[in-house]
Amino acid sequence: MFGYIIQGLMWTVMITVASFLLGSIFGIAVAGARVSSSRIVRICARIWVDVIRSVPPLVWLFLVYFGLAELGIRLTSLVAAILTFSVIASAYLGEIYRGGLAAIGRGQIEAAQSLGLGRVDLFVRIVAPQVFRTVSPSMVTYGIGLMKDSALASTIGVVELTFRANQVAQNTGEGLSAFLIVGLIYLAFSVPLGIWARHSDARASQKYQVG
Amino acid sequence: MPDQIPHLKAVNICKEFGQVQVLRDVCMEINSGDVISIIGPSGAGKSTLLRCINLLETPTTGVLEIGDFKITIGEGHKKASKKELATLRRNVGMVFQSFNLFPHLTVMENISLAQRRVLGRTKDEANSRTLELLDRVGLKEKADAYPGRCSGGQQQRVAIARSLSLDPMVMLFDEPTSALDPEVGAEILTVMRELANDGMTMMIVTHEMAFAREVGDRVYVMVDGVIVESGDPRVIMSEPTHERTKQFLSAVMGR
Repeated sequence: MFGYIIQGLMWTVMITVASFLLGSIFGIAVAGARVSSSRIVRICARIWVDVIRSVPPLVWLFLVYFGLAELGIRLTSLVAAILTFSVIASAYLGEIYRGGLAAIGRGQIEAAQSLGLGRVDLFVRIVAPQVFRTVSPSMVTYGIGLMKDSALASTIGVVELTFRANQVAQNTGEGLSAFLIVGLIYLAFSVPLGIWARHSDARASQKYQVG
Repeated sequence: MPDQIPHLKAVNICKEFGQVQVLRDVCMEINSGDVISIIGPSGAGKSTLLRCINLLETPTTGVLEIGDFKITIGEGHKKASKKELATLRRNVGMVFQSFNLFPHLTVMENISLAQRRVLGRTKDEANSRTLELLDRVGLKEKADAYPGRCSGGQQQRVAIARSLSLDPMVMLFDEPTSALDPEVGAEILTVMRELANDGMTMMIVTHEMAFAREVGDRVYVMVDGVIVESGDPRVIMSEPTHERTKQFLSAVMGR
């Protein structure tokens, strides 16, 4: 039974990793729009983030998979899942980045400008490394949540862990064992990631702050 | 052009924040090797003026000249291009009240970064120049430390070295000692005095009257966004002519 269920791991990992990576990149744009100097851009970004976060992920998933199909855009269930979770992740990660951005003093930005550093250097050398450092624990926490949400992809037919556990339960009636196994597999990923996030956070603050 | 005197000139700088006029037709000139100080009560617009000079703040109108470079701001003129901004800023160093070091970079990296990215120096060139500068501000042993491991006074000295790293024509100091204990502030003033003696052109917003008097070639008194008087600091501080200058000086000297 374990052997059958674990074969779904690849899809769970693929949805999680792909959505997390895409969401991390789109999230930069979302955060950028949230702190844009243009009021209209800021308001649009705010609405976008709020709307995405106010509707259950399952509903978004169905809207993308079944809704778009009705409009003639047929996505495979895997693509629909990755697309949906990437967009949702971009909203949440964008807000996480924005929090990290707020922690960088205006003064540093001005210092960089007064040194003649261009926008690209400012972002790559000054802003991004610091934001990434402060937000990486929150990002990992979000990533764990994303992995758990990826179970929703089973509802549109992606043959990932939960889908397979459910198949076993339907076919053999051994739901308890099947879902216990799948639960333990999720746990085996979440717990170490969570511990790693806490440790890397402590290490970073030790390195840079006054001891 | 070694014979030409590089200087900085700000002409009719005006700055409005909404309805509030922070700077009104401020004119200022500084010759090569001179030290000028800008004094005045809080909220007079002193810091805003410095920030307008390296365009961290865009003046509403005005003209800035530094060396051969001239930029006119206001209606009918297009915004400063990236290239103009870059040229201006690499020639004008700025030291802030709150140091503003990059906390994720070591002292060495803080000072080398702009040399490499803006001046295009190689890593070795930049690092050896950085060590020279650190030696000059007495912090060679801190090269590999992170700013969080340096005291306030050390951080400000690093910040000065960082500004010097681009070999600017003019250095702007925005209340460089205000965030420090008086004793530590004195260290910074010593570094600045040495810079002045080495011929660095400096424009200093400060509340350190003794320093302005001793080191400054010229002082500008600013009140409510206007320069009310300017001249030899020794003369102005002992015989101020403007009523507002008298009030201000008696308030700060009386302590």
